[in-house]
Amino acid sequence: MSTVTATGIHHRSYRGELALRHTRAEYARLALVVLLLVALPYMLNIYWLGIVNTILIAVIGAVGLNILVGFTGQISLGQGGFLAVGAFTSAILHERAGLPVPLSVFAAVLTTATVGAFFGLPALRLKGLYLAIATLASQEIIVFTVKRWSWLTEGQGFLDVSRLEIFGWRIERTMFEVQWYWILLVIAAVAVVAARNLFRTGLGRSFMAVRDQDIAAAAIGVNVTRTKVTAFAVSSGFVGLAGALTAHYTETVTWERFTLDVSVLYLAMIIVGGLGSIAGAVYGAAFLILLPVLISELSEAVEPAFPFLSTQLPAIRNAVFGLVILLFLIFEPRGLARVWQRMKDYVRFWPFRY
Amino acid sequence: MKRLSAIAALSTAALLGLSACGGGAATGGGDTEGPIKIGVIADRSGATADVGTPYNEGMLGYVEWRNAKGGIEGRNIEAMSNDYAYLVPKAEELYKKYIAEGAVAIQGWGTGDSEALRKKVAADELPFMSASYAEVLTDVAESPYNFVVAPTYSDQMRVALDWIAQDSGGQRTQVAVFHHDSPFGTAPVADGQKWLVEKGYDLGYKSFAMPKTPNFVGLLSQARSLGAKYIVIQNVSSPAAQVAKDIKAQNLDMKIVCLNWCSDELFIKTATPAVAEGHIMIQPFAPPTTAKPGHADIEEFLKSKGSSLQDKGLHYVQGWWTMAAMAQGIEKVLKDGDELNGPNIRKALEGLQLDTGGVVGGGTVKFSTDSHRGSTGTGIYQVKGGQLTELTANAAPKE
Repeated sequence: MSTVTATGIHHRSYRGELALRHTRAEYARLALVVLLLVALPYMLNIYWLGIVNTILIAVIGAVGLNILVGFTGQISLGQGGFLAVGAFTSAILHERAGLPVPLSVFAAVLTTATVGAFFGLPALRLKGLYLAIATLASQEIIVFTVKRWSWLTEGQGFLDVSRLEIFGWRIERTMFEVQWYWILLVIAAVAVVAARNLFRTGLGRSFMAVRDQDIAAAAIGVNVTRTKVTAFAVSSGFVGLAGALTAHYTETVTWERFTLDVSVLYLAMIIVGGLGSIAGAVYGAAFLILLPVLISELSEAVEPAFPFLSTQLPAIRNAVFGLVILLFLIFEPRGLARVWQRMKDYVRFWPFRY
Repeated sequence: MKRLSAIAALSTAALLGLSACGGGAATGGGDTEGPIKIGVIADRSGATADVGTPYNEGMLGYVEWRNAKGGIEGRNIEAMSNDYAYLVPKAEELYKKYIAEGAVAIQGWGTGDSEALRKKVAADELPFMSASYAEVLTDVAESPYNFVVAPTYSDQMRVALDWIAQDSGGQRTQVAVFHHDSPFGTAPVADGQKWLVEKGYDLGYKSFAMPKTPNFVGLLSQARSLGAKYIVIQNVSSPAAQVAKDIKAQNLDMKIVCLNWCSDELFIKTATPAVAEGHIMIQPFAPPTTAKPGHADIEEFLKSKGSSLQDKGLHYVQGWWTMAAMAQGIEKVLKDGDELNGPNIRKALEGLQLDTGGVVGGGTVKFSTDSHRGSTGTGIYQVKGGQLTELTANAAPKE
């Protein structure tokens, strides 16, 4: 068990130290979050619920990318491409091979993990900017392939995906967003918990060892080659899951959804959320999906007073996006996760500062 | 740990229990009074904003004009128009927003987003028109709620190839197709190839995706190495005008045949009249210079606003008449005393015969239960003296 004192949290057993949550406040917050998540579909209309669903998919993708970038120290600009691999694989296996959706999604995860591991091979030789360019190449190659390989879309340039049906149960038209919400919530929760637990395993710790100092990691017996390739595979698996869910949720797969902009957006999510923090990936995904929506809503509200906003909105959205990343890099490079941590510490140690 | 398990078990039970019910269902839209809400997905800042902006203004202009005349059966139209910057996910987000706000129909824009949304509009039973004339959207079985008011890109391509076959006087010649690298750009490419085989035209045919860089000299030299005399362009005005400039700069003997979205005044203005001279435009909507009866109301409305059709151009006309077609369907539903909802608007549109005063093809936009292809006729124009000069008013693909 663990004890909370003014000087911090003290663990009295190894089991206590390894627990995901240590304090009563953490359990209380978890209960509140669960309550909020259960109440959400009753509080929101379908538009906002649709945005929440988009966030839930982005959470899975951002967690995947954070495993690679935040926890293993590898850089990737290929997120959009890996999402495309997941989306096309699941859609084609379901629509043409007739595989049930759970199986096609699972196959998409495996395929994307394999493709990710392959494109991760340059990581064995390259670091930093060089690796970024190599992964950028993977993004371009994958998008080029899905654009030009007409077999993928049977020449029509996009793929139609039928409404989600799992072993006879079909999503209803009027309940589309609500039912998807529950499905995505469960999958996102499992993905987050799985990623949290990953870093309590030997594999997860080897990821972090490679991130912190790969030569030292090799010296203590970590197989750096295997670790890097595995990190690409695991990360891409998560991203493939997000891609497959995107395909079935949006019911159309087109390469336009998987461009370099998407890769940049996901990188921004984990920077703003907090590199090397699973919770940070969740905060970052929610923040960056909500940001443009809130800017649009705000500009709509104040448009009568400032009519120029309607024509300048896209420019404003881009400027705010850039500004947010800049401000985070300057004032809180460890992102929203660190901001939240500091807020909790302030309350916990009050009236002391430290 | 026990507590965590308890919370997890409780929440799983709650999720399972609640997944069968829950709020947030889609609203049906279509109240019996109050404004008639139509969602408009517009490109005012994206890759096709040069033509998307006047098109959007045309739609909103029609709504304002119609409302000033008492609306539809005494009810105003409320066009909820938002920019989606030519991004598919943003279009989907707006679509959901419009459903939540009770839209009874949607006016979209591009091919990628119209295709991405067509399954949803079919499932949600919302009539959908857009500025995409991709052939796939006219298929009633696949896209039962999409309506295409003008000849499809494929029909425009067929007319272009018919014209080229005739213009080349039966001599073997090469056609290069320069297209936007997107679903919009590729939409008519394969159908054009099929048309050559079907009609037995002795034309070489090769397509090229246009790069984003505003310089097409490299692409033109590839086309020249093939011996291409005709460049069919499926892109918007600005890049097409650059192709014209590059042809002139390289002193090449090539004629551009533009399809819908580069066949306009903006092409002439951007390329300059001297450079644009002689190029061919396949344009289903009659440009203001042809002064068709269908331009009169628009001209009068714009004059009252201190503007003119000359200023706004033909894409304004395009937006205006597309919204007019939607309004006509809604009007029929209300006149018949039926409930204003998607299925009823679809039924009304399927019996629609809209006289566009000579603006679209032969003048009439017509839908039926078997076909959502509003027209197959398109105008063929040539740039002469800085203006679009009519060669053929209503050319349809050869029988």
